[in-house]
Amino acid sequence: MSKRVLSFTLNGDPTEVIVKDNMTLLDLLRDKLGLTGTKKGCEQGECGACTVMLDGKPVNSCCTLAVECEGRTVVTVEGIARDGQLHPIQKQFIDKWAMQCGYCTPGMIMSAKALLDVNPHPTELEIREAIEGNLCRCTGYAKIVEAIQAAAAEMNWEEGK
Amino acid sequence: MHKDCDKHYFKKPEFYRLTGGNNYVRIDAEDKVTGHGKYVGDIMFPDMLTGRMVRSPYAYARIKSIDTSEAEKLPGVKCILTAKDFEWKSKVGNGEFAAEFADKDVLCSDLVKQVGDDVAAVAAIDEETAQRAVDLIKVEYEVLEGVFDPFKAMDDDAPEIQWEGRGIHNIGMKSIMKAGTDIDEEFKNAAYVQHRNYKTHRMVHAAMEPHGAVATYRNGEYTIWMSTQMAYVDQFWYARCLGVPEKCVRVIKPLVGGGFGGKLDSYSFGLCAAKMAEITGRPVRMILTREEVFQTTRNRHPIYMHIDTAFAADGRLLAKKCYHVLDGGPYGGSGVAACAQSTLWANFPYKLNSVDFLAHRVYTNNPSSGAMRGYTACQVHYAHDLNMQYAADHLGIDPIEFRKMSAADPGYVAPAGLSITSCAYKETLDTAAKEIGWYERKDKMKKGEGIGFAGTGFVSGTGFAVLEAPNQSSACVQCRLNKRGMVTLYIGSHDIGQGSDTVMTAIVAEELGLQMNDVKTFMSDTFLTPWDSGSYGSRVTFLAGNAARRAAVDAKRQLFEVIAPMWGVMPTTLECLDGKVISKENAELQMSMADAMFKYMTVKGGDELVGVGSFYHRTDNSQYNGVNTTNYAPAYSFSTGAVHLNLDEETGVLDIDEFVFAHDCGRALNHRAVEGQLEGSIAMGLGYAIYEHNVTKEGKILNPNFRDYRLPTALDMPKMRTFYDFTPDDEGPLGAKEAGEGSAAPVAPAIANAVNMATGIHLTELPLDPEHLWRALHGMKDDRNTNHMPEDDAVRERYMHPDD
Amino acid sequence: MVLPNFEYMVPKTIGEACNLLLELGKAAKVFAGATDIIPPMRDKAFTVDYLIDLKHIPGLKYIEYDENEGLKIGALTTLREIETSPLVKEKNPAVAHAAKVVASTQVRAKATMAGNMCNASPSADTPPILLAQNAKVLVHGPNSDRYIMMDDFFVGFKKTALEPGEIVTGIVIPPLGEGESAAYIKHAVRKAMDLAIIGVAVKLTMDGDVCKDARIALGAVAPTTMRARNAEQAIIGRKLTDEVIVEASLAAMNECSPISDIRASAEYRRDMIRVFTKRAIKQALEG
Repeated sequence: MSKRVLSFTLNGDPTEVIVKDNMTLLDLLRDKLGLTGTKKGCEQGECGACTVMLDGKPVNSCCTLAVECEGRTVVTVEGIARDGQLHPIQKQFIDKWAMQCGYCTPGMIMSAKALLDVNPHPTELEIREAIEGNLCRCTGYAKIVEAIQAAAAEMNWEEGK
Repeated sequence: MHKDCDKHYFKKPEFYRLTGGNNYVRIDAEDKVTGHGKYVGDIMFPDMLTGRMVRSPYAYARIKSIDTSEAEKLPGVKCILTAKDFEWKSKVGNGEFAAEFADKDVLCSDLVKQVGDDVAAVAAIDEETAQRAVDLIKVEYEVLEGVFDPFKAMDDDAPEIQWEGRGIHNIGMKSIMKAGTDIDEEFKNAAYVQHRNYKTHRMVHAAMEPHGAVATYRNGEYTIWMSTQMAYVDQFWYARCLGVPEKCVRVIKPLVGGGFGGKLDSYSFGLCAAKMAEITGRPVRMILTREEVFQTTRNRHPIYMHIDTAFAADGRLLAKKCYHVLDGGPYGGSGVAACAQSTLWANFPYKLNSVDFLAHRVYTNNPSSGAMRGYTACQVHYAHDLNMQYAADHLGIDPIEFRKMSAADPGYVAPAGLSITSCAYKETLDTAAKEIGWYERKDKMKKGEGIGFAGTGFVSGTGFAVLEAPNQSSACVQCRLNKRGMVTLYIGSHDIGQGSDTVMTAIVAEELGLQMNDVKTFMSDTFLTPWDSGSYGSRVTFLAGNAARRAAVDAKRQLFEVIAPMWGVMPTTLECLDGKVISKENAELQMSMADAMFKYMTVKGGDELVGVGSFYHRTDNSQYNGVNTTNYAPAYSFSTGAVHLNLDEETGVLDIDEFVFAHDCGRALNHRAVEGQLEGSIAMGLGYAIYEHNVTKEGKILNPNFRDYRLPTALDMPKMRTFYDFTPDDEGPLGAKEAGEGSAAPVAPAIANAVNMATGIHLTELPLDPEHLWRALHGMKDDRNTNHMPEDDAVRERYMHPDD
Repeated sequence: MVLPNFEYMVPKTIGEACNLLLELGKAAKVFAGATDIIPPMRDKAFTVDYLIDLKHIPGLKYIEYDENEGLKIGALTTLREIETSPLVKEKNPAVAHAAKVVASTQVRAKATMAGNMCNASPSADTPPILLAQNAKVLVHGPNSDRYIMMDDFFVGFKKTALEPGEIVTGIVIPPLGEGESAAYIKHAVRKAMDLAIIGVAVKLTMDGDVCKDARIALGAVAPTTMRARNAEQAIIGRKLTDEVIVEASLAAMNECSPISDIRASAEYRRDMIRVFTKRAIKQALEG
C-alpha cells in the first residue's frame, strides 16, 4: 500500500500530510483534515457537491487523487471568508434564500467563485454554464442564479469604491 | 379540543411585522454557506468505525448459507451481523396501528426479495477494510423466479412475495373509496362517458445527501444521528427491532440534505449501525453509496390507472370510477399509505356527485416503492388531469373554462368526506391562463407549438399521526421564556431542507413580537424535543406551525395574566409588539419583554415561563383501515401549472420556454421560501416529466447513477414565474397552507397537455423523453417499459375482484 | 467507496513515462485528467497496479496554430482550455464547441482531449470532430515518435491503435482553408452532464455551391467513432441542395450500426443520425 507525504497549499496555508495513493482529495479533506464543508454526493463526478478550486479552477474533488495536488493550491468552502467576513457569494446566498437543504451549496458556491474570479460580469447563461455540473434537487436553480448575479454586482461595486 | 380559549390571544394580522414578505433569513443559512453545518456524514468520533451492508445481487432468492469466516479473519474487522443478531425481534413497518403487518426483516434470514436486499452488515476500522470484508463474505443463494409485473403478481400461480398461504395474491394493500349518488345511474344518464388507461414510470427522490446514520451505545442507550424525516417513528421501530424500550433509543436529526419522502422509512442500515455500536462499544458510521440509495431505499410507485368518467351535456363532471394498481416492490413501509392516498387525489380538485375508486398496492420483486413528494399525487394527477384534457378536447370546450366548470369551491364538502376550507383553485386557473398569455396566443399557435395547463389539489397537513398518539395529536411544541425575554423553542418537527425550523422560529417570534434571533430553536431530538410525527403529508407548516403558534400564545396568555392586573386592564387587551408588551387600548401602557418577564418571574417565585402547544386534525386512521370516507386534512391546497413549449417533431426534443405556476397556499409566511418551493417543484416535476426514469430489468436498476438518471441541470430549466398569495386560510398558522408538495403534481400533466396541443396526440404514459415523443409522433408503441394495464375489460375486472 | 489500491507514479519526462508503461505493461495506465479513470475504478470496471500521472511532463500543454499544419493541441491541454481559447474559437470553432459539450465545467477543468480520445468510448464528443477533420494523433513510443491518422486510431470498442509503451503527446488538426468549414452536433437529453445519444461531425470543402470534398463522422452508433463514407460520397461533387443533403443523411442512417441500450433504442439512434447528419451539413454550410 503506497503512501507519501503530500505538500500543498490549503485555504492559503501550507499543509503537509501523509496520504495513501488511492485516496481522493475529497476523502483527504473530509476524513483526514476534518473539512467536511465539501460534500460527498455521488463519488462519480456527476453531482458537483464536492467541487473545490484547484489552482483556481473548479474540479470535482471525488475525481481528483490527493497525490495529484502536490505543490498545488486547493481552496474549499471553508477558505473563502476573509477576516471573519463572509464572501459576497456567501452573503448573497443567504440573502436570496439560494439554498434549501444546503447539501449542494458549498459546491455551488465554489463553482460560482471560480467563475467570478475570472469573469466579473457574467451573463445569466454564463452563470448557468458555470454551475452546469452542480446538481440541486431543491431549488430549481433560480434563486442560486439570482444570488450569483447579486454577488457579481456587489463585488464589482466593492471593486469600484 | 384545541385550546380555543387561547384564540383570543392570537395576534391579529394588523400587528404582523415579520411574516408575509422577505423580512427574515433562514436560521441555518450561514451554517450552510460556510460548510460548518453538520449533516450525518459530517459527524465524526475519534474511535469511529465504518459500516457497510452486504446486499443481495438477486431480486428473489433463498439464502442457503452465509460464510463470514474469511471476513472475520481480516485485521480491522470489528463486527459482522447476520439475521441471527435480530432473531425474535420485530420486522420493520411504518404505521403503528398496522405494526403486526410489518413485513421487512432487518437482515434477511431466508428469502431475499429485491436486488440490494439487506443480508449482512460489517463494521471495520475504515472504509477500505469494511469494503474488503463485504467482498469476503460468501453468501450462497438458490435463485428463484421473481415477479416483476404487478398484474402477473396478482395471478393465482405467481409466487407469493409476502404473507404466503394467506391467499391475498400479493395484494399488500387494498383501498376502496365509494360515496355519493348511485354511480350506475350517473353513468347511465351521462351525456358523455370515456374510458382511458394511463401509466407512470419509476422515479427516485435523489436527495443530494445520501442516506446515512451514525450510532453510539453508552449507558445502555443507543444514540442514532439519522438523515431522517421521522425521528420519532424511527425511535419506535428501532426500539422494537433492537428489543429495547423506547427510552433506550435516542434519535437525533442533524441537518438533512433533502428527503422528498425518501427518508421516511426506518431502513436496516441504521439499525445495523446501532446494533454494531452496541456490540463493539464504538461509534459506527454507515453512509450509503449513491448506487445503494437508488437501489435499496425507496422509489416513487409506478402506477397503472384505468379511469371511467361521466360528464353532463354541458361538460360538467358527474361521476368517476377508477382502478389504480401500484407496483409496490416487496415491502410495505411508507408505501402502504400510498394506496389509499391514490384514491384521495382522484377526487381533486373537482366536484363530483359520485365516486367509486379501487386501488391495489401489489407486492413484486421490483425495488420497493414508498412515499415521494405528493404521495402518489404526481402519478394520479398526471392521469386524471390528462383525462380531463381529453374530455375537454372531445367536447370542444376551452381547457380553462372546462376545468372551472367542475372546480371545487370554498366550503365544498365532497361525497367522500373531504371538507374544503379556503380554496382559490379557480383563481389559480385564471392567473395561470392570464400570465401564460393563453387568450392572446391560443389561436396563433405555429406547428409544434403548444400551451398546456394542469390543475391539482393536495392536502395541507395530513392528520394521520403514524404512531398512536393522544387525540391523534402529531405536533407538540414547547416555548420557554427567561428573565431577559429570550425564548428557547423546542420543536419536534423535521427540517429536511424546506426551511421549517425557520418558519417555526418566525411564527413564534411573530406572536411574541420579537426578532428572529431572540428565539433559539432546538429541534428533532427524541430525548430533548416534544413529539412530532415527522415531515410528510405537507403537515409541518400547518400542524407544527399551529402547534408552535399555540405554544407562543399559551406563553403570551400566562404573561398577560400577570401583567394586566398591574395595569388594571383585561389580559386580552394586551399584545406583544416590537419587543414590548403593550396595551392595545392605552398607548402609555407598555413595557419591554425583558421587564415583563422579570416581573412575571418575580410574581411567580422565580419560575420561568413555559408555553405548550399542540395541534391535531380531527381524523382517525379509517382511511387506511376500513371505510375510506373521511376528511383527510384540516385544509387543502390547489395549483395550476401552465407551460409554453415547442416540440422538435423530428427529434422529440421539447423546448420549454416558460413555466407559470399559480399555487393557493393561503398566506405566504415568507415569499422567497414559497417561491423556492414552487421553483423546486417545477424542477422536480420537469425531471419526472422528461428526464428521470429508473430503468429496471428483473428488479435491478440499470442506471443507479447521475450519469444516466438525469436530474435537470441549471441549463435545462425554463424561465419560471410563480404566483401564490391567495386567500388566507382561517385555520392555517397566520393564514398559511402547504407549498411545496402538491405543487410538484401539475408539472408533468401541463407538459403533456401542451404536447397534445402541439401535436394532437393524447399521451397516456411517462416519461416524455425525446424518444418517447418521437415514438408517439411515429405512431409506435413504447415497448421499452413492458408492463401494461390490461386493455380488455373482462381481464381487468378479474384483477379488480380477486376472490374477495 | 475507496478506490482499489495502486501505486501512483510521476514521471518527469515523456521518455521515462514510456519506459514505465512498457515495463509495467497491462498493470499500468497513464492518465492526465483522471475523470475517466476514477469512476470506473470505483465501479470495479478495471483495476491497475500502477497509475502513471503525465501532468508533470513539461511541454505537453499547449495550443498553437500553424498556417500549414493547423491547430496543435498538447496532450495535457484541458478541454476547458480548448473551449475557452480565443485561438481555437477563431481558427476552428467546431473543435471549441465539441470540447465544450463534454460533461460539466468541473470535468472539463481536468479532462483532456487526448484522454477523451484514448478512452475510446464510442459516445465521446471530441473524436467525431477530429475524425471529420482528418486530424492526426502524435505519439511518443519507446523507440520512436510517430503519428496516427484519426482514421486509424480506433481499432475496436474502447481500443486504440497505440502499441505497448506508446503515449499520445498531442493532436494536430489541419487548417480550415478557403471554402472549408466544420460542425459538430451532439444529441443528448440534457443540455449538460449528459452522454451523447448520437453525435455527428461534418467537414465540408466547398467550391461555390458544389461540395468538393466532405468527411462525416458519427458518434455512438458503432463500436467506435465511424466515418459515414456513403454519406460523404452522396454529397461530394454535387450541389448541396436540400434533396442532396437528405440523400446523404439517409445514407448515413443506413450505414451506421447502433445498439439499443438504456439511453436510446437502435431505431431512435438510427433516425437521429438521419436528422442530425442533415442538420450538421447545413450548420457547416452556414459556417
